[in-house]
Amino acid sequence: MKNRITTVIMVLLAVFVTLGGTTSCKSKKQLAKEAAEAEYKSRVEQAVKDLNAILDDETLWTLEEKEARVQTIKDWNLQNAEVDDLLFQVEKKLARERAQKEEEERNKIQQQEQEAINVTLEKNFNNIARAGSTSQANRLINETLGMFESANVPVLIIIKQNADFNDYDKPTTIENYLNYVKDQKKASEKIFDIKYNANGKINELELIKK
Amino acid sequence: MKKIIATLAVVLCFVGTAMAQDELSFERKQAIDSLALEKVRDLSKYIKIVGSKETPFSEANRVIDRAEELFMSDAEIGVSSLSSNTITYYRVRKYLEHLMRLNYDRVEIEWYNIEYVSDLQRQPDGTYVGVITIFQTFRGYDAEGNLVYKDTTKKDITVYVKRKETQIGGRTIGFWDVLLGDMRVKETTNR
Repeated sequence: MKNRITTVIMVLLAVFVTLGGTTSCKSKKQLAKEAAEAEYKSRVEQAVKDLNAILDDETLWTLEEKEARVQTIKDWNLQNAEVDDLLFQVEKKLARERAQKEEEERNKIQQQEQEAINVTLEKNFNNIARAGSTSQANRLINETLGMFESANVPVLIIIKQNADFNDYDKPTTIENYLNYVKDQKKASEKIFDIKYNANGKINELELIKK
Repeated sequence: MKKIIATLAVVLCFVGTAMAQDELSFERKQAIDSLALEKVRDLSKYIKIVGSKETPFSEANRVIDRAEELFMSDAEIGVSSLSSNTITYYRVRKYLEHLMRLNYDRVEIEWYNIEYVSDLQRQPDGTYVGVITIFQTFRGYDAEGNLVYKDTTKKDITVYVKRKETQIGGRTIGFWDVLLGDMRVKETTNR
């Protein structure tokens, strides 16, 4: 009888443990599922919010920060139609911004390089005008000619700017202009415009009377 | 009658427009006045370089080319002397080559009081013509550094300024071509 009771208790205990364990396991999975769903929902909401903000220029993020945010959202792999559509639009927008930024940076570098050339050229003109000897002036002339496509590059000198056209002195060549500066010992023109060839050499120089 | 009046009005309108286009503004006229004066000042520097015994031969020849380009092709330069009443006229290159070979050990040439005696005036063909006067002091020294000859000459230079066009880099450039004409001796003194 005692053995029977023990067996029954053991069976009941086993059933209880089994049922209890199953119930507890189901509850944990449910919780995890719910948590995952909540997280997914939260990420989708956050992604939609961030992507719309980027699209509408409502963020203070830099381009790099926006690109990083897009990458994070892509890494989430949300597989949500709305997010995917927004991602497509935002990536296109950021590609345009990236191209524009890169062009601005290229232009800035080019402008800095050209400003440096302007400074060097005007410095050389002044040094040629003030050279202590013909040989020193000639050395500077040769050095300066190296910045040009050839010694025959045209040099235009504006004597008067008018509303829609300029009056020029007779066009000359860079070699003759540099020798003129040497002979006259004066550099009375400043740089107005410079044109370059594909190799970065000057192929047209426009000066204006100071 | 109405037709004649209308035609006359149109013709007068065209003539008026054409005349207005020919007239330069004060500022543009001033710019070409200055340009022509500058060319004469440039010439003074060239003459100084060519006359200097310190100028290397190759440099002097290059400067002669530059100076010659300032003049009209048939222009002449007058040469006077205190020892003679004759004024001899030379073609520009001849004058400059002669100046380069003068028989002094040192030569000093100064130009001053460079100014218009006759303002640039527009001619019927569109050329502006004026006369610029200059004073030139010439000093020649011997090997010992003694001044052996000195004179001051007043010279008149006729200047011709014409608007021309050329194509550079695919665009039309309107420029003022200044050319010097004869350089005539007006007066020579020993001052």
